[in-house]
Amino acid sequence: MTQHIVSTKTLVKSTIAATIIAAVVMVCFILPAEYNIDPTHIGHELGLTALAHLDDESIPVAKDTAITDQGQQVIEVMVPAGTGIEYKFQMNQYDKMTYEWLTDGEPLYFDLHGEPEGDTTGYFESYAIATLSEMKGSFTSPFTGSHGWYWKNTNNKPVSIQLIVSGQYTAIGLK
Amino acid sequence: MHNNIKPFAAFLLGLLLVSMSFGVLAHGVDDNTRVFLEQNSGMQFIPFIYIGAKHMFTGYDHILFLVGVIFFLYRSRDVLLYVSMFTVGHSITLLWGVLGDIQVNPYLIDAIIGFSVVYKGFDNLGGFKRVFGRQPNTKLAVLIFGLFHGFGLATKLQEFELAPDGLVANMIAFNIGVELGQFMALAFIVIVINFWRKLPSFERFSTVTNTMLMSAGFMLIGLQLTGYYLY
Repeated sequence: MTQHIVSTKTLVKSTIAATIIAAVVMVCFILPAEYNIDPTHIGHELGLTALAHLDDESIPVAKDTAITDQGQQVIEVMVPAGTGIEYKFQMNQYDKMTYEWLTDGEPLYFDLHGEPEGDTTGYFESYAIATLSEMKGSFTSPFTGSHGWYWKNTNNKPVSIQLIVSGQYTAIGLK
Repeated sequence: MHNNIKPFAAFLLGLLLVSMSFGVLAHGVDDNTRVFLEQNSGMQFIPFIYIGAKHMFTGYDHILFLVGVIFFLYRSRDVLLYVSMFTVGHSITLLWGVLGDIQVNPYLIDAIIGFSVVYKGFDNLGGFKRVFGRQPNTKLAVLIFGLFHGFGLATKLQEFELAPDGLVANMIAFNIGVELGQFMALAFIVIVINFWRKLPSFERFSTVTNTMLMSAGFMLIGLQLTGYYLY
């Protein structure tokens, strides 16, 4: 039995069918499961989008989880294995921030610092540098600009940080 | 009639299971393997054979292409010839890509590998003869697509930024593993297809199967191009 050539009609039908099936499976299942892109919401209904979250361990994630009764903002930050991330806040000169953060146990190298607004030289001022798994404190912004943390995760698994802040600021987020 | 459909259904089910159970691997290498590779330097001959074999055996893009290639090859000699062409092709670019430190975007190369699956499905339908009046040389096509598959394999190794210490030996071990994995996967595919080919359902469903092959190829292209635009 050798290969035979299908009719033009069958060929066109096959090609169109192949494309349509591929497009439907892509949009409904593959994109939600692999990339968390879910225009039809079918992936969410089937629980497929959860797979994309699992796979996303190499991408830093930060989300506001709660605002406490005392007006504190609670932010969850995930630092992927072997990378460093920055989480920043926009603050005016003499604005105050009270903070508290803790990791899920692993100590991380960090640098709490500020960068003046409009600066292009790469200048920054560090307020605290250490390797810790938790820290509490407060600071007053010496200049208008972005202020926040650099955390470096040298472990081979992701580390999540709970950051609790209150004061005068606007969250910029991951940088 | 009912009996004829069974092997076909079993074949499709097998394909589906293979692609599903390994669908979560990001670019074909799982986290444990990644940690192993990044923490070990020096020659690791057997582990690299294993990684190569596992990548090929579980790499549905390579497997789909091979299914397309041997679909209409019913003589063992032809199977051996075509698979050798594929092996020569991907070995050249695997070695060249890693040693020459050639940086190819893994998403784009995997999209081309997806295209090779579409090509072979279309070719098996006789699409080229129907549209252009002639079929491009099939041996040459396998060789050329083999070259692209090899670049794909190279990107998998390059992801780890392997230490120069023991690189050549490790890469050759990986290549040997790739051939072993390919051999094992082919053994299954050839047995199933040869058995199925004896049944009337083979001819009846060959158009559907190659349509599905094209469709799977389109999915791979879409998956990889989306990844390319996102990252």
